Amino acid sequence: MKARKKALLVILAFVSFAGMVFAQSKPTIVIMPKLIGIPYFNASEVGAKKAGADLGVNVIYAGPTTADAAEQVKMLEDFISKGVNAICVAPNDPAALSPVLKKAKAAGILVLDWDTPADKNLVDLSVHQIDDKVYGQHIWDLLVKEMGDTGDYAIITGGLSAANLNTWIDYGLAYAKTKYPKLRLVTDKVPSDEKQQMAYQKALDIIKAYPNLKGIIGISTPAPIGAAQAVQEKGLKNKIAVVGTALPTDSRPYLEDGSLRVATLWDPSKLGYLTIYLANEMLKGKKPVDGQNVPNVGKITVWPDGKTVIMGPPTDFTKENAKDYPF
Amino acid sequence: MQNIEKSIYISRFRKNKEAALFLIMVGMFILMSILSPTTFLTWRNIQSMAYQLPEFGILSIAMMMVIVSGGINLSITFTAALSSIVGGLVLSKLAVSGAPTPIILIAGILTFLGVAACCGLINGFVVAEIGITPMLATLATSTLFEGICLNITRGGAISGFPDAFLWIGNSAVLGIPFPMIIFVLVIFASYLILERTSFGLKTYMIGCNPRVTFYSGVNVKRVLFGIYIFSAVLGALSGIIMASRYNSAKDSYGSSYLLQSVAASVLGGTDIVGGYGKIAGTVMAVMIIQIISSGLNIFGVNRFVINAIMGCILILVLAINTLSNGEKIAAGK
Repeated sequence: MKARKKALLVILAFVSFAGMVFAQSKPTIVIMPKLIGIPYFNASEVGAKKAGADLGVNVIYAGPTTADAAEQVKMLEDFISKGVNAICVAPNDPAALSPVLKKAKAAGILVLDWDTPADKNLVDLSVHQIDDKVYGQHIWDLLVKEMGDTGDYAIITGGLSAANLNTWIDYGLAYAKTKYPKLRLVTDKVPSDEKQQMAYQKALDIIKAYPNLKGIIGISTPAPIGAAQAVQEKGLKNKIAVVGTALPTDSRPYLEDGSLRVATLWDPSKLGYLTIYLANEMLKGKKPVDGQNVPNVGKITVWPDGKTVIMGPPTDFTKENAKDYPF
Repeated sequence: MQNIEKSIYISRFRKNKEAALFLIMVGMFILMSILSPTTFLTWRNIQSMAYQLPEFGILSIAMMMVIVSGGINLSITFTAALSSIVGGLVLSKLAVSGAPTPIILIAGILTFLGVAACCGLINGFVVAEIGITPMLATLATSTLFEGICLNITRGGAISGFPDAFLWIGNSAVLGIPFPMIIFVLVIFASYLILERTSFGLKTYMIGCNPRVTFYSGVNVKRVLFGIYIFSAVLGALSGIIMASRYNSAKDSYGSSYLLQSVAASVLGGTDIVGGYGKIAGTVMAVMIIQIISSGLNIFGVNRFVINAIMGCILILVLAINTLSNGEKIAAGK
């Protein structure tokens, strides 16, 4: 028994030693999503891992199990003490992460944000999936295309403090005010904790409270699905148009019966790929340039500030094309 | 014969629960150090664990003291959240008004503690005066506090604290993180109160049998009020550390600590029905959890797997505790 335990310990020690030697030969990049275990971030993990394999870098894809900024801080602290080369983070709350990102910079670690911006002054590079203004306006255009430019609508969002979601909503609302003045937002944006179940319940509440509702915008990937589920269950798919930001595979069953009219998003696996690619370039001392062609991703836009990168225009997923996308 | 030997062995283990915990803690530390000597066993990692530990450790002590009294405080994390949200509001509003820094800090911290004391008072009232079962009572107040939090923040975070406040959670004195210093003071104070005063003794007595304690001439209500208020104030200290470390205050900060703090109390040898528990045991349990969590995180183990491993460890410890109790009953002790 004792001998066996000893043997096990020796084996474990060897495995970890081997892992270390393996890890030391190439740079280690941590890429942290808002949370793990939802389809969107599962897809970006695939892209990030693929980039790691293509480029020969060690990619650690790790995040909390709930969209909790405090949990992200603790995990990042562990990675800082582990000693990694770059940290790419999608913050659940930008302010909450500022102290730990400062620590990372002090430890000489390259800091990037992706998916959702962190404090601008703390990051070396900010990887955006989309031009926020273009995207916000695009979502409202889709809504009007489906419900007409007159009537009541509501917004279900992932979380009230998620900076990117708020930015799209703010751009969209400002745009709607001038372009579609007859649209009427019935209530403040409703949070759904990045959960489909919550979005579904909130959608049911909204449908009940506002009988004249003609449209629902779902922002954050589970929100439109939850809303579509509610509309489907109530048999209101011809009366209420649901549009929003969702993944094509999740959307397909709802797109097919029309309870979700159209979803618009980018390819999260490409975003994961691009983030790792750019982090690796930055580690080599190469800054991205406007119009640069990134393999497997395409042409990127770099803002004049030199640290904001835009991946590309959004893709609309409809009944017809949703099956063509694997994420 | 063998059975008797076994039960003697187990009862000795029970007597030395804290010693056993200490061995587990040291064992875990050595194991993690062997597994990754260059990353786990570094000053930087130990320091980073020392930054992470206090907020959870203080909440665990707050939970454990209530459990010792035969209750449970399910509102502890939202007490921390509510105190940091109201305290955070005061801090950020005063920071904008341009008042002198020491006044902002003192006013802010007093708000944290005051709000928490009110929360504790409400818990004490519901449990001791009205006599509702602590689990239900604190579940209800937890929902109440959460509701107030959400009404204030609308689900967002409150930030914009003065830099001096951020110092509390993010700085070190002689290499020792300041939150750790607060934690050590809390451990010391809690130890004195629980294990060295008559108030503490009464708490243990209530945990064993409130009625007998009452007929022994102890003012049970007053002790319960005291214990819930103390627990809430500890929650506020944890709230101060969290607000400072995360540079913001939000309803969800620390919510994952609720069941973990119950787990740490039980892992630390506290009897879940009350009457037994040592501060030292809880502190060591907190350290064990931190070592496992940080260690596995450094290996890059998936967070879901870490949760599963924590669950297994807890079941194991509970099983050992329950089985050794069973042995005792079987042996007629």
